[in-house]
Amino acid sequence: MSKGMQIAGGATVIALLIGWFAWTQLEGGASFSYFQTLDEFQSVSGELVGRQARVHGYVTQGSIERDVPARRVRFRIQNTPPHAGGSPEGALTVVYASLETPDLFQDGAEVVVEGVLKAGGLAGEFHADRVMAKCPSKFEADPVPQQAVF
Amino acid sequence: MSELGALALRFALPVALLGFAAGIYAGVARRSDWTRVAERSVLAVAAFVGLSIAALFYAFATFDFELAYVVGHSARSMALPYRLAAVWGGQAGSLLLWLAILMGYSTVCILSQRHQNRALMPWVSAVLLVNAIFFLVLLNFVTNPFEKLPAVHVVSDGNGLNPLLQHPVMMIHPLMLYMGLVGFAVPYAFAFAALVTGELGNTWFRSTRRSTLVPWFFLGIGILLGGRWAYEVLGWGGYWAWDPVENASFMPFLAGTAYLHSVMIQEKRDMLKTWNLLLIGLTYTLCLFGTFLTRSGIVQSVHAFAQTPLFTSIFLGYVLVAAGAFLTALLLRRGDLGSGQRLESMVSREASFLLNNWAFIAILVVVFTGTLFPVFSELLLGERMVVGPAFFNSIAGPLFLFLLFLTGVGPLIAWRRASLPMLKRQFLWPVVSGTVTLLGGWLMVRGSLGRYTPTDVYGLLAWGLGAFVIATIVQEYTRAIRARVRKGEENAFQAFFTLLRKNQQRYGGYIVHLGVVFVMIGVAGSILNEERLENVRPGQDIEMNGYRLRYLTAEAIPEQHYGGARARIALYDHERPVGVMVPEKRMYWLEQQPASIPAVHSTLREDLYVILTALENDGSATLKIYRNPLVNWIWFGGFVFVLGTVAIMWPHPPRHREPQAE
Repeated sequence: MSKGMQIAGGATVIALLIGWFAWTQLEGGASFSYFQTLDEFQSVSGELVGRQARVHGYVTQGSIERDVPARRVRFRIQNTPPHAGGSPEGALTVVYASLETPDLFQDGAEVVVEGVLKAGGLAGEFHADRVMAKCPSKFEADPVPQQAVF
Repeated sequence: MSELGALALRFALPVALLGFAAGIYAGVARRSDWTRVAERSVLAVAAFVGLSIAALFYAFATFDFELAYVVGHSARSMALPYRLAAVWGGQAGSLLLWLAILMGYSTVCILSQRHQNRALMPWVSAVLLVNAIFFLVLLNFVTNPFEKLPAVHVVSDGNGLNPLLQHPVMMIHPLMLYMGLVGFAVPYAFAFAALVTGELGNTWFRSTRRSTLVPWFFLGIGILLGGRWAYEVLGWGGYWAWDPVENASFMPFLAGTAYLHSVMIQEKRDMLKTWNLLLIGLTYTLCLFGTFLTRSGIVQSVHAFAQTPLFTSIFLGYVLVAAGAFLTALLLRRGDLGSGQRLESMVSREASFLLNNWAFIAILVVVFTGTLFPVFSELLLGERMVVGPAFFNSIAGPLFLFLLFLTGVGPLIAWRRASLPMLKRQFLWPVVSGTVTLLGGWLMVRGSLGRYTPTDVYGLLAWGLGAFVIATIVQEYTRAIRARVRKGEENAFQAFFTLLRKNQQRYGGYIVHLGVVFVMIGVAGSILNEERLENVRPGQDIEMNGYRLRYLTAEAIPEQHYGGARARIALYDHERPVGVMVPEKRMYWLEQQPASIPAVHSTLREDLYVILTALENDGSATLKIYRNPLVNWIWFGGFVFVLGTVAIMWPHPPRHREPQAE
């Protein structure tokens, strides 16, 4: 067996082992999630009920309700930022079962919510188990509202 | 002054182009006079770039608000050190810093190597200058830090810098990271030159090993400081999130570490030449790719920069050219890269180093796949998917454990072929220590872990293997020191330093390993992490694992540049008063940016880390409390890592060196 073949063989075995391991570890599915902008999410949300997803959007003006006794934050996200004239129409209601919101989480903030869309589809609620607010990066002071680059 | 900086950038470009052409011509025609032209061009470009970045520093120091970049990244209220660090607070300045560091390394490389490696120098100069040309093009034509605001705008104050970046660690973290990423250009240039000239003997990599160690060292510090900054500033109780930007700097570190190990086999056994060249090429490509990832925002991340498509495509093209050219040169030379030796046994040091390399590359593949998963899944499946930290932890975890195991085994096992009595002599005590620690650790934490997850098992194994490795290192040192002391000329203390001096690579390497083991032990401590979200009213207590936190009151922050609120919390450790913790929730007025400043009670055993999540309308406070066991071992390990690397790199006068007997 030539040296090249040996190396290729070894690499294949290792890749298969890691692949197998990855598969068994991650079958639960919580590690993978679909990542979409609200637009994309809304166009396919029928299929997405009950599946782990990450959705990107902007917090609708005045929509944040902190329910301290119930330890829950409810808000809505919309597709275009309110400060860029985005309308709250068709916004998605998000329920986050925690009071722990990021610093940058406020009206108009660019957020990514991770969780599951409950039955009832878009009229229903998105139950988030993670809310991330994006750094409105002063790394680059950008006069134009940032478009999603991903 | 700023005009001077802009001019210097402009002049540097043609000089770099000239030097590049001179280098190629000198290399092809073997003209040493043109080699000198190329080398001097490198020095001239370095001088221009140095002038240019000095001008930018000056602009920040003197509030030159004619420049858009200065307006965008500083303000009158910022102290001088932060204003100077604001030079790399944005895109254009970061690129200029990158270029300046590249030219710094190039200058040192040219001045120190030009007499030893005559044949390589034209190509080394040309490769270094290609990199410079790329950045000069970007800086001159795409994103120029000296660009002025339109004359109609008169600006009296700047917009300020992201307050999260106004932190002592953040002044040096990017610097360290860049010193790391950029520095790999030098070994890359040497490897490339060796491939082009066919001078593939053992000289080129001897002279570049140190030049690999230096950037590797800075990259390691940079990564650790990044973790430290995240821990202190971002307020989520953690230091590493497998964020694309973190991964971007971690990937070249993995490849570079693999190289530093496998190059030793080439040195001692004349094996793996092709592999080593491949690793160098890969490391530098990953450095460029990492910068590209961070700067292009192609993968969503907390750092994501909005970018122009022009910038993205130029940069991606550059990464591909760097990788493609290297690979082509390697393929054309593959006939000359035969190995002098063969692997004799799988139970040998060569084999353990080989496995070490496989493990590093496997981790690299996992990190790469996970980082680019959104891109890959969109291309292949048409759906953009992301993977969470669990993906990285559960797959890379066992690989790291395997590496930890090899860290103990590799240095103790014989070259070529190990014998059974030898194995027993070397490994009896380490195996006993590891097993005892594993069992002891398990007994101690059994109560705090609920149902065992794979991660818990990895953590326990990490402690056991960590003890195993520490025992091997202690054993190596005591045996060697005892042998010297027995000869009667030195005491134990002197013997320790003699060892470090006579065989820097080996005994310094052990200290680096020790640092890495401490880091791993600290990371493994995260299996015991505990976090709580509590809503409390003044006077209420929170009990947590022997601690009692009493929420006293909240008050407004009376600072000039930021406002917000701070909470006062009395901390008791087993009813013994410890002090008052004051987490803050700030709002920076100028930047209109909020920030949570955690209060941390730190001991060698664990950190208690408190964040003021919110002051609610009903007068209560929502607090997030993390208990992070062993986390300080990570920073301590980083310190040991620095000591070890310094011991390896410490320049000793040659007369002290004895032939390395190993």
